[in-house]
Amino acid sequence: MLPASVTVTLFFVIPVMMTFVFSFTTMSSDTGILGNRYIVTKATILDLTEHGIDAALVRQLGHKVFRFNDAGLAKIREIGLDSSLVKEIEEKLSGDEFASEKALFAALKQLINRPRSFKHRKAISKSVVNTITNQEFRTAAAFRAGLVANGIKVDDATFGQLLDLTNTSWRWTTDNYVELLASDFTFKILANTAFYVFFTLLFNVGFALVLALATFYMPSGQSKFFRAVWLIPRISPSVIYVMLWKWFTFDSGFMSYFLGSLGVEPENWLNEFPWTFVIIVNGFVGASMGMIIFASAVLAIPADVLRAAEVDGAYPMQQVRRIILPLMAWPILFITSYQTLSLLTSFEYILLLTDGGPGFFTTETWALNAYHTALSNYFGNLRYGFGATLAVVLVFFGVALSLLYLRLFDFKKLVAEPLIEN
Amino acid sequence: MEIRLEKFSKSFGPVNAIEDMDLAIGDGEMIALLGPSGCGKTTTLYAICGLHRVSAGRIWFGDREVTHLVPQERKVGVVFQSFALYPHLSTFENIAFPLQIRKESNADIERKVKDIANTLHIEELLGRRPGQLSGGQQQRVALARALVRRPDVLLMDEPLANLDAGLRLEMRSEIRRIQRESGCTSILVTHDQVEAMSMCDRIALMHKGKIQQIGTPDEMYHQPKNKFIAGFIGNPPISFADGVVEDGRFVAQGLSFELPDQIKGASVSAGQKIAIGVRPEYLQPDFATAIEGEVTFIESQGREILYDLKLGGGQIFRSIQSSEQTCKLGDQIHWGIDVNSVFFFDEQGVRL
Repeated sequence: MLPASVTVTLFFVIPVMMTFVFSFTTMSSDTGILGNRYIVTKATILDLTEHGIDAALVRQLGHKVFRFNDAGLAKIREIGLDSSLVKEIEEKLSGDEFASEKALFAALKQLINRPRSFKHRKAISKSVVNTITNQEFRTAAAFRAGLVANGIKVDDATFGQLLDLTNTSWRWTTDNYVELLASDFTFKILANTAFYVFFTLLFNVGFALVLALATFYMPSGQSKFFRAVWLIPRISPSVIYVMLWKWFTFDSGFMSYFLGSLGVEPENWLNEFPWTFVIIVNGFVGASMGMIIFASAVLAIPADVLRAAEVDGAYPMQQVRRIILPLMAWPILFITSYQTLSLLTSFEYILLLTDGGPGFFTTETWALNAYHTALSNYFGNLRYGFGATLAVVLVFFGVALSLLYLRLFDFKKLVAEPLIEN
Repeated sequence: MEIRLEKFSKSFGPVNAIEDMDLAIGDGEMIALLGPSGCGKTTTLYAICGLHRVSAGRIWFGDREVTHLVPQERKVGVVFQSFALYPHLSTFENIAFPLQIRKESNADIERKVKDIANTLHIEELLGRRPGQLSGGQQQRVALARALVRRPDVLLMDEPLANLDAGLRLEMRSEIRRIQRESGCTSILVTHDQVEAMSMCDRIALMHKGKIQQIGTPDEMYHQPKNKFIAGFIGNPPISFADGVVEDGRFVAQGLSFELPDQIKGASVSAGQKIAIGVRPEYLQPDFATAIEGEVTFIESQGREILYDLKLGGGQIFRSIQSSEQTCKLGDQIHWGIDVNSVFFFDEQGVRL
């Protein structure tokens, strides 16, 4: 009990809880995952006026002054300039102030040992600049101190407003869920996922059953060969497996070549029928797994039971329907629920095959979308928070479907009685 | 229905399991296919129900030739050693299965299942699953399922092997009763001679793919055709001794007696090697032809006592006696055999 609960907690409950927590944040590659961070950027300055901050204050916040005070001179000494230049700056510019970088550069030009490289001029400018803009503060107190240092006076109410508006770190929000509900793509991706899972599952389980039963009625040597052949998709590396499919379906690939000999124009068949290939590629991988389980389940049915069915008058199809399939309820339950969950959450074959395309979201499924949103966003920032929201929905669906399966297959009844005596 | 096998042969690859077997079973008769394991009795049963293809020969159910029919098209009921009930179906559904497969009407199925359940005293078990039944109950359900569609022949493959001793005794008479009531031609495959003798009208004793002898249990016991049959039938088993014919006498080391007239007059000649078989009940303290030996084994079976007598030539003779124990282990004693009840076999094992 204890090891089980520890494992479940470590590898299921905690990750799910964390995902749930993250789904209520605005975390992204823009905000980072650390806590508070206050920066006045050019963009925030534009915002501030809109939020009713006093224009004079806004000007102060955007204001830059280049001041050759002790602190500035100390920084200049650190740059590694010619000592003659440093000396000259100390003599001639100490105590001076410039309102703009342009004026500063003009003053530098007047020096005898004037810095030749732009890099050095910029370094000097950076050392003596005094502004709140683009400075990063990790706490409210540091932000306040920064304001004071720049001679900006704000009252507490305005400071609170500033804190709020300049905080670029993540924050708590329920907007992810609102956005999810409002988004036009949500339904499209949900429908894609349902389509993908349902038909791949149908293909998976159905094909696995057909393979298992077909090989069961075959001589053992042949059946072993066929089972081994169907294992190839499962054991080949996914990238190579998908690559082969891509070559197979290219407009200059085998399929076009073969169909070309029948007079069909070459096409990129993958682009033409993306879903068909997404389902087949995933289905073949899943089918081999189901086939192994089902084949062994069929073999586990006592031979006498099947002989009895035969002498009782049941032909193979009747045996399959009335004896074999009911006796395989357990493995079918297992494979169906296992495959549902794995299809819901796995996306590497779609990623490699179509990456959600061709075009916009054609074969984008929920898990792939979560991946794209959180970890590989072509359109902008990686949105960890929103990705977590998508993952939470996935967990919810997974658990709901598992419960549904247990009910559907009458789990309690299945575990209550021994199926096979003797 | 009458069942006939004509020159039936079955081979598995290069191995000939059965060769040229002829067997006729009368209508309503119950016959046992008896023999040690590997003798081909189950193979024969599977050929009759169609689970095995026949290599050569023909099989008839009455006037209908079924040699090449699949099991589904023969009308056979089979009781397997493991009972082979469908674990996911209730008792009722198990029994109804052969009828449902043939799409009989629900009312018919209901009636027939109830009838057969009545005969087998399993009415109150109809709602249960096989996993909830005891071994004996499972056996009855299996029997009901085999009988419910009134098969041309009822085949039973070691039906009692999976039951404990007490149930075996009960089911022995039960199966016989039900077989008589249904009047169904039946074949019982067993390696247990007691089952075969107590349940069947006739016994076909098989050995190495051949029927050695067919006859009533009585004939098999008292008129065995050869040494194998004499040795197989009878418990405790018969005792054999090898010897030669000299001057109208059977002579072996430590054992010699005058041959009975019908043997003497028949085909034995002086110096011929023959063997004798003495059933334990024909070696008794007071029988005429005296033999001498040492008691090497005593087993009390309650009502009867079993002795092993070691003769001078080292042959062991068994004796079964119902009286009180008269001797003890190691005693040198003189008992007698009933020469008229002794079996004589030639060198090939054929009875003289």
